[in-house]
Amino acid sequence: MPQLNCIDPREQAIEVTFNPGETILQATNRAGVGGILAECGGGCSCATCHVILDHTWDGTLVGPSTQELDMLSFAVDPTPHSRLACQVELSDKHDGLSLSVAKRQY
Amino acid sequence: MRLGIIGAGQSACTLATELIRGNFDGEILVFNGEPHRPYQRPPLSKSWLKMPADTNILLLLPEPIENHASIQWIGEWVKLIKPDSGEIYTEQATYRVDQIVLATGTRARRLTIKGLPPETGHVIRTLKDAERLRQHIDDAKNITIIGAGFLAFELAATLDHPDRIIRIVAKANRLLPQVSLKTADRLVGSTPASTLVDVKIESFDTVSKSLITNHGPVPADLVIIAAGAIPNTEIAKRCGLGTAEGIATDEFMQTPHPKVSAIGEVSLHHQPHLGRSERVESISEANDSATTCAKRLLGHSEPFGAIPWFWSDQGQLKLQIAGLCARSDDETCLISTDADSVVIRHCGDRVTAVEAINAPKEFMAARRLFERGTVSLSALTKVGSVFDLLQSSRS
Repeated sequence: MPQLNCIDPREQAIEVTFNPGETILQATNRAGVGGILAECGGGCSCATCHVILDHTWDGTLVGPSTQELDMLSFAVDPTPHSRLACQVELSDKHDGLSLSVAKRQY
Repeated sequence: MRLGIIGAGQSACTLATELIRGNFDGEILVFNGEPHRPYQRPPLSKSWLKMPADTNILLLLPEPIENHASIQWIGEWVKLIKPDSGEIYTEQATYRVDQIVLATGTRARRLTIKGLPPETGHVIRTLKDAERLRQHIDDAKNITIIGAGFLAFELAATLDHPDRIIRIVAKANRLLPQVSLKTADRLVGSTPASTLVDVKIESFDTVSKSLITNHGPVPADLVIIAAGAIPNTEIAKRCGLGTAEGIATDEFMQTPHPKVSAIGEVSLHHQPHLGRSERVESISEANDSATTCAKRLLGHSEPFGAIPWFWSDQGQLKLQIAGLCARSDDETCLISTDADSVVIRHCGDRVTAVEAINAPKEFMAARRLFERGTVSLSALTKVGSVFDLLQSSRS
């Protein structure tokens, strides 16, 4: 199975396997990666699943929607590579993608 | 400590997660009355209904929590609790615990409609309901949804298809009474369903496959009843703790009995934002009440202080509501364009809720402002935008 390389807010590295078609949130939630709250359950409505993706993977990803960008503007310290984990759908080409979970969701 | 959580929905799972992450010293028994692992309910009326039959439902708990050694899953519903002795009775066994948390949630309100065949009538609340509904959707040409709320409109948007006619019929005299007239107009104006209000349903005619109403026959080869939810208070009532309205608790989610707490949609407690007691049906309530209860059980109590918020996906429109208002509160439209709108609900000068359609920044700004304290209408109208008010209050 393809996998993601995640760094949680305590700087712990966790390898997370995923099924193509899942979102980052679905994969990290199943694996229990800490620091992702996802209060709205993946509806792009709370900005508490903030993750920062390794920018070298930018070309493989569909960019964020206006809704997602607006929600991200209320996340804590967003970066140009910030995303909401619930809005990023994964495919086979994302095997090995690295991301870190935001230090704080509030 | 041995803890029994009765229910396995959003609030129960948040409580279990918070306890394990907070290094709870003890054993957690979770009583799950549904034949599924804990799952996310909101997608059922949204994307999930349209997905292929083999689509797995989104699970609610991370595997390390669900399989944690301190949690014991009991796949049986509870018949009775005895708070004094801490006993929990199921059909098969009796368990003894030190603390009981009622997270029994709500169930779909069902209507008795004379002549309606069971395979034609549906509700949607559980995964079982949704699976049953999904089997019948493809053959349905006329779908009639009974209800006036968000669920009715979410279902209409989800089930929209060129080969189907969708109708929403409501007993009430207005649609979406929980939001302002302005917001309701936007949502009703964009629904693929035709709508009828003030409808009295007399019966179902199986020959013509129609609901017989005071407005004449309404064709329906599928009827979905989305007429609200009823709190599951039976277990609490049997030991004198609940009423039909909910299970009353203090601001720490404790019922009058020292061994019993109640969390989530079934708990009836003081909502600081509203200034009164109210049972609130939303994910934010489920999570925040569970977190408050977890803190108390972990020994560092903090009173419930969260601001409710809601969201609903209606086709292309995303409605997000910060705060909670009385249905009678006034409405002032702050922003309105073709694409988005923001309506302020207020009681005099005090802003009680902000309804944002396709305006996530305004929604998030409103949540932040409410968290800081009272928001006044005059300050808002002066600046002209919730977002701008937040910006100006920062500078």
